[in-house]
Amino acid sequence: MNVIRFAGPAALTFAILASPATAQTKAAPEPPKPRVSEATKQKAAEQDANPEALVLADFQKRIDAYMTIHKEAAKDAPPLKETKNPAEIKAAQDALGATIRAARAMAKQGDIVTPELQNKFRRLMYPVVAGPAQKGTAEREVQADVKEELKENTEERKEESGKPVVLKVNATYPPDTPLPTTPPQILMNLPKLPEQLEYRIIGKNLIIRDVDANIIVDFVPNAIQ
Amino acid sequence: MRRTFLFVLMPLMLTMPALIAQNFTVPMKNGSLKFAVIGDTGTGDKHQLAVAKQLAATRAKFPFGFVIMVGDNIYGGNSAKDFDRKFALPYKPLLDGGVRFYAALGNHDDPSERFYKPFNMNGERYYTFKPADGVRFFALDSNYMDEKQLKWLDEQLAMSASDWKIAFFHHPPYSSGETHGSNETLRTQLEPMFVKHGVNVVLTGHEHFYERIKPQKGIAYFITGSSAKLREGNLTQTQLTAKGFDTGYTFMIVEIAGDDMYYQAITDTGATVDSGSVRRVGKVEPTPDRSAQPVVPPSGSDKRNRQ
Repeated sequence: MNVIRFAGPAALTFAILASPATAQTKAAPEPPKPRVSEATKQKAAEQDANPEALVLADFQKRIDAYMTIHKEAAKDAPPLKETKNPAEIKAAQDALGATIRAARAMAKQGDIVTPELQNKFRRLMYPVVAGPAQKGTAEREVQADVKEELKENTEERKEESGKPVVLKVNATYPPDTPLPTTPPQILMNLPKLPEQLEYRIIGKNLIIRDVDANIIVDFVPNAIQ
Repeated sequence: MRRTFLFVLMPLMLTMPALIAQNFTVPMKNGSLKFAVIGDTGTGDKHQLAVAKQLAATRAKFPFGFVIMVGDNIYGGNSAKDFDRKFALPYKPLLDGGVRFYAALGNHDDPSERFYKPFNMNGERYYTFKPADGVRFFALDSNYMDEKQLKWLDEQLAMSASDWKIAFFHHPPYSSGETHGSNETLRTQLEPMFVKHGVNVVLTGHEHFYERIKPQKGIAYFITGSSAKLREGNLTQTQLTAKGFDTGYTFMIVEIAGDDMYYQAITDTGATVDSGSVRRVGKVEPTPDRSAQPVVPPSGSDKRNRQ
């Protein structure tokens, strides 16, 4: 009798827990916790500035420094200009890449996108890739679109069976591997880059790629969490 | 001899005009703007060659001056050999004949393709050109639709007083494809601008089939992504579909004469799978606040070559 009395509610509870609706309302992953270094906090206190703004200003400074190297390297490399000969384009790209690599021989992951910037980037991307959003809302649709696009990128890369992208500063982006489309919602949330640089997403990682030199300038591992 | 004429030549002569009419539904008017559209081409394989051959054969009768490439121009490697095998050689007869190609970047294209002179991109990822009075094209890089590009597009569209404004890029804002489907994000970004500035026609690829979308907010959308690659059976007829073809390799020929744009989708074997026309209504003024230019398909435009 007791068994019968409890079996009903138990079954109902199980059904609710196991229902697709419950699965869909699964809590969104926790947003990355802000991580601002003590040095930045101190600087912000001294300047009476917002530490987050200082973090982004630091990114701009590092990008500017990279661009100085890029522009200097471009002076020594054959110019990237319109030509009927694709070999000239490739040669110009390779030469530019080699000069930048030589100038940044000691560069390593995190030199441009420092740990606190990596954290900032993860937080900037979080709302469009994983943040909480009610079903049926515009935010939820955006997330679905972004997820779809990222999934498609992965499938395209597999389909083309190009070489895997080596996540390494100064590595060449494999020329026969399709470049993943960067969802515009992500672009809108990230700091702007000069036209010689671009963001691309490889799996869960965000790379900054030098378009003209076709090299990875820096990257954020697990940018999408 | 007379018998030969009566039984062999006479029927042939009688059917000739019909055959030509079947092959070409575009009016081929004097002084009209004629061009072709190809997409997802750069494989260098036999299918690309077959479409290229048919394209060249078509030009012998329909003398188009340029070809729009809606992206994925060079798949895989992009060495000099690749450019030869996947572009220069397949389209050699056209290139030798003075046909210009205007490329947009697809997701399989390295942005450095913009420096390849025969693609006529002027070293830019997005650009505009005006092949004739009253017609302006806008090539976009839908792989990387950042704020800068959107601002550029808004300004260029606002400045243009062309009657026909045609945008071309890789990813389709509307599609009935099972693999990709509509790119709604891109649509959200671009469509309001297209409507605001009176874009009449949008040409895209990415999906490896041909699809003509029912006019959306007054804009005619075409997908031509099967000029070398094909996803057979990938097109699900949806409410968006005006006409679709996913069982063969295709390209398009287009003719603009006054307020009418005639189109025809042709396979690598020369069969016509879609044809018709869209009519531009209203006059475009170069003001950012004008209303959209509706594009209405004339009645019965889809009556030929139904699948």
